[in-house]
Amino acid sequence: MTPKRIIIDTDPGVDDALTFLLALASPEIQLEACTTTQGNVTVDKATRNALATLEFLNASHIPVAKGCTLPMVGPLLASDHVHGASGLGNTNLPNPTTKPVPQHAIDYLIERFLAEPGEISLFAIGPLSNIALAIRKEPRFASAVKEMVIMGGAIREGGNITAQAEFNIYADPHAAHIVFHSGIPITLIPLDVTNKCMLYAKDVKRLQKTNSPISQFIDDATAVYLEFTKEKTGIDGCALHDPLTLATIIASELLTLEGRYVDVDISGGISMGKTFADFYRTAGKPANMKVALDVRGEEFVELFLERMETK
Amino acid sequence: MTPKRIIIDTDPGIDDSLAILLALASPEVQLEGLTVVHGNSSTEQGVTNALSVLELAKVSHIPVAHGCDLPLVQPSLLAPETHGNKGLGYANLSEPQSRPIVQKGSDFLIEQIMSNPGEITLVAIGPLTNVALAIRQEPRIVEAIKELFIMGGAIRHEGNTTPLAEFNTYVDPHAAHIVYHSGMPITLTPLDVTYQCILLADDVERIKQVESDIPSFIEETTRFYMEFHDEYQGIQGCVINDPLTLALTFAPELCDYEEHYIDVDISGGVSMGKTFADFYKMTGKSANMKVALGVRPRDFIDLFVERMQNLSRSVSSGE
Repeated sequence: MTPKRIIIDTDPGVDDALTFLLALASPEIQLEACTTTQGNVTVDKATRNALATLEFLNASHIPVAKGCTLPMVGPLLASDHVHGASGLGNTNLPNPTTKPVPQHAIDYLIERFLAEPGEISLFAIGPLSNIALAIRKEPRFASAVKEMVIMGGAIREGGNITAQAEFNIYADPHAAHIVFHSGIPITLIPLDVTNKCMLYAKDVKRLQKTNSPISQFIDDATAVYLEFTKEKTGIDGCALHDPLTLATIIASELLTLEGRYVDVDISGGISMGKTFADFYRTAGKPANMKVALDVRGEEFVELFLERMETK
Repeated sequence: MTPKRIIIDTDPGIDDSLAILLALASPEVQLEGLTVVHGNSSTEQGVTNALSVLELAKVSHIPVAHGCDLPLVQPSLLAPETHGNKGLGYANLSEPQSRPIVQKGSDFLIEQIMSNPGEITLVAIGPLTNVALAIRQEPRIVEAIKELFIMGGAIRHEGNTTPLAEFNTYVDPHAAHIVYHSGMPITLTPLDVTYQCILLADDVERIKQVESDIPSFIEETTRFYMEFHDEYQGIQGCVINDPLTLALTFAPELCDYEEHYIDVDISGGVSMGKTFADFYKMTGKSANMKVALGVRPRDFIDLFVERMQNLSRSVSSGE
């Protein structure tokens, strides 16, 4: 089987880094490049973290392009309290020796996708600023993307940044609005499913038995995140939000997908950034994406752990 | 046990009329009056329907007050496609002989609640215009009311009017906003639980085993409602939202509840009228109501069917 070629647009971020780990541990996936954006951390930190993590994983050959500093319209919203001041929890990776490619992420995305239309899939696990601007800058971009998987939104589930909104979408709702309505074939992975994929402290401990640099990295990376969720929810675990996007390739049978018209509130009121699905077709619009509404979460976490143990 | 004294604020409405009948069929509650509001039908039509349903059950002495004709801010939105042009589906009740009382709905609410402090339970099963107006006109009703049960909102469940919003709340979101933040002790019954309570054609057949005007009415009114549910939502049977809310006043064990901070979007955007719960305490605000999020649907439907049979028997035997 030819591995699936993907580019990840990312704001590392603890669970972003875990996504790199899982992608590189999965023979079904060929990670072609990363583009960075503001989100969990500033774009400078995100870029540094992407380069440092790839270098740590002996994957410095994978190009990294630095993207947008700011959301399209709203203010910058970095979340140090979740991901630690560095963005990678308590990890202490050395500064990367590699540099990002000279191009801006928007141009890099356009160049890569237009060079091989329909060949590469785009995984967006941060706010959607880079993708939205690529769509607006190059009208042919949308049709050149084979498919897109987005970690974002909360359909029936409560939000994780406001009562209703999920972080990635809330951090740039206008960009999400552009992407959702772009015509790109989208699979959305919302909190409804990611919150069912909990990596518990005991799982991190289990990985420690392999006594590898990877298991140490995961322990350090998740420490702050685990502390945050324990304090916030009383649960001794953290959700594998971003890594779950890769389940669409390596374990799609675990996900229950429905074709729906999905939109995002950009009205600026109390529901700003709320992602919703038109289940009863009251909006009268055709489905614009597939949305994951259920997952066999424990099986996904087990798969994640197994791949980390063999990496 | 002394029955609980209740007033129903209502926009009858197919499921409203079933809620009124359920109140009359339930010895645990004593129906003290109906206040009518716009919503499923115009207020005028709703008043006629309320009076007709009371006459059907031979309880014309129960007062009916004409309430607000329009939402506080939004334009009028009625639901003839759901409830029929006259609000009661295919039922054709005779013109009522009785008349509404002179008092406006909100005045009746204020008077009844203030003169019986701690005694009156209000069951609001339409848009909240009358209730909001009463709160603003006489803030002391917040303390004087015993409890407020609301049929409204869609928390995790999808809306039935927009993708996000439930009908009663969408029709007058500003009124809902006033009521939610009033400090009244509220129990909310959202679509999350009502959409699990589906009255099937078979259930209506069970009610019809008793021969009287009431089962015929229930059959005619729900047949239209079932056609709507089939055509618009692919549901076989009909969702009886309002009777569930009424039942919770005396059978709270039918549902499971959580306490949450709940708010409604009044920003005018695509989420207008969306009712949401702050499950993960992102707002830092304390709970302002109890919300039903789990339900035992067949227990409720069986209770409803049995009580409709009992009411039909007792009304036709003149008890």
